[in-house]
Amino acid sequence: MKAHFFVSLAALLAPPLMASEPVMFCERPLVAQPVAKNTWMVEGLKEELSASNCGHIGNQAFIATPSGVILIDSGSSPHFGEALKTLIAQHSSQPVRWVLNTHHHPDHFFGNAAFDEAQHLTLTTTRALMARDRDALIDNVERLTGRSLERSLIALPDAIEAGDITLGSYPLTLYAMGGHSGGDLVIMDHATGVLFLGDMGFYQRTAATAHTPGLQQWLEELSDLRALDARIAVPGHGPSAPSDTVLEQTAHYLTWLDQRLSDVASEGLGANHALTIELPDAFSTMALTEYEYTRSVMQLYPRYEARLLWGAPH
Amino acid sequence: MALLMQTFIPQRLATALAALACLLTTVLPPATHAATMNTAEKDPLNSFMWPVHRERFLGDAPVVFDERVIVSAPGFAEDSGQVPLELDASALEASGEPITDIIAWVDLNPIPRLFRYSPMSHGLAKLSLNIRLEQASAVRVAVKQGGTWHVGGTYIEAEGGGCSTPGIATADTGWENTFGELQGRLFAGEDEQRLRVRLSHPMDSGLIPSQPAFYVQSFEMLDHQGQQVATLDIEASVSANPTLGLHMRPSPGGYVIGARDNNGNRFSIGLQP
Repeated sequence: MKAHFFVSLAALLAPPLMASEPVMFCERPLVAQPVAKNTWMVEGLKEELSASNCGHIGNQAFIATPSGVILIDSGSSPHFGEALKTLIAQHSSQPVRWVLNTHHHPDHFFGNAAFDEAQHLTLTTTRALMARDRDALIDNVERLTGRSLERSLIALPDAIEAGDITLGSYPLTLYAMGGHSGGDLVIMDHATGVLFLGDMGFYQRTAATAHTPGLQQWLEELSDLRALDARIAVPGHGPSAPSDTVLEQTAHYLTWLDQRLSDVASEGLGANHALTIELPDAFSTMALTEYEYTRSVMQLYPRYEARLLWGAPH
Repeated sequence: MALLMQTFIPQRLATALAALACLLTTVLPPATHAATMNTAEKDPLNSFMWPVHRERFLGDAPVVFDERVIVSAPGFAEDSGQVPLELDASALEASGEPITDIIAWVDLNPIPRLFRYSPMSHGLAKLSLNIRLEQASAVRVAVKQGGTWHVGGTYIEAEGGGCSTPGIATADTGWENTFGELQGRLFAGEDEQRLRVRLSHPMDSGLIPSQPAFYVQSFEMLDHQGQQVATLDIEASVSANPTLGLHMRPSPGGYVIGARDNNGNRFSIGLQP
């Protein structure tokens, strides 16, 4: 018993942890939660971008490999990226050599500049969306967080093909999807059974739909992801959990949203009627439900009318 | 290009607005004794433009704030070029004399007025449409019954979320391809026929330099015999591709909806139950 205690104590004090000061960002400690062997995630606040959270609303994850660290998403500013870099250094003596960006939204790639010695990679479709929306998204982040960004630091990553890849000696499988944003990179680590969903998956935080090509596509892709039988999933927002749990909650909400919009639009009622609907109790554990639902109605209602009333295809 | 008008540049707009406010305060005479007598109780939305617009749109007629004039909108604008607005004054209408006139405006828009609706013989006091919102503002609807204006309103924040990209996500550069398409559906109910119509039109306000004003000015509702039974005049503060929800007394032969823009283009569609 006593011996065991001392072993544990020795383990606790072993470097590099012994030297760890808590890394602070926006007056809060930034925490790396273990997800699997050599794999951690940093969970953002379940909020919209604001001055009080300094933009730390999305998740990041990293895998420490013998030939360097693989980082998945980098947060919403170079300033945040610097804090993330310090945090990662507490868990691996290797530098970040690869940054994979799951999609083009600002909370997932605006921190890239802090990792200037790493290769920055994303899908071709995602890169095109980044080029299209970058300026508008910089404006949004500045407006909502009240902090200015150095525009030249928000650079575009290089494009990479989906499929099996090896970073250093570490194999990953990349899937090209698009349900959430039009260009969504999903990453499977078969060695640990961890599925990095980006914003294809939201857990305990309601899904945002601003750039979805259609909820049907998103739902189809979610069922494809279920078939991968991953052990654990890291969503783009909210905590990690068993993969089925995360995928099921995202799909449940999107199915409900799709049905409500269809019902109201097909009766020829206005968008405000969709907003009077009471949200089901099943979604009460999720953050931002009323806010995201209101946004989704405004974003998507005209499309449902076009399809259901005016006979537009799709 | 047509849709760029929605992306008002804040600084320019603020200047234009300041100039407008300035102009209005100098041009309009200060409130006279008669006008003061007609002043309703305190503006529940506490907007500094209320006295100006009240005088401009409602004149000397008596004004009351009335909770039976229900104005619904989301609390914030996700896309400031397309904000769904809905009026329901059916409780007021049910209480007595007919509704003769309905006027709506956005306190802080460069073109404040949204529409003027004359329900005439067949229109009910309900209406929905999408509006443009230049900045966070009070939105008002004044409903005239028996010579008195009954005013309702709501406040809308003009701020989208972090990953929304207004004007990019919705930009439709090929508007010429669908220009003038008027689509509609009639939903027959016991007490009313609900009409939903959509007109493909850029609704250019003329506020963008070198882009002339090009917008729909009026809709009219005719019964199956061609008799005009309600009219709706709109301004370019109504969103591109105007989509209207109209509530009409049941008409066995349905309705014909006609529209006209400021270039003289005419559009029409017949809707049967």
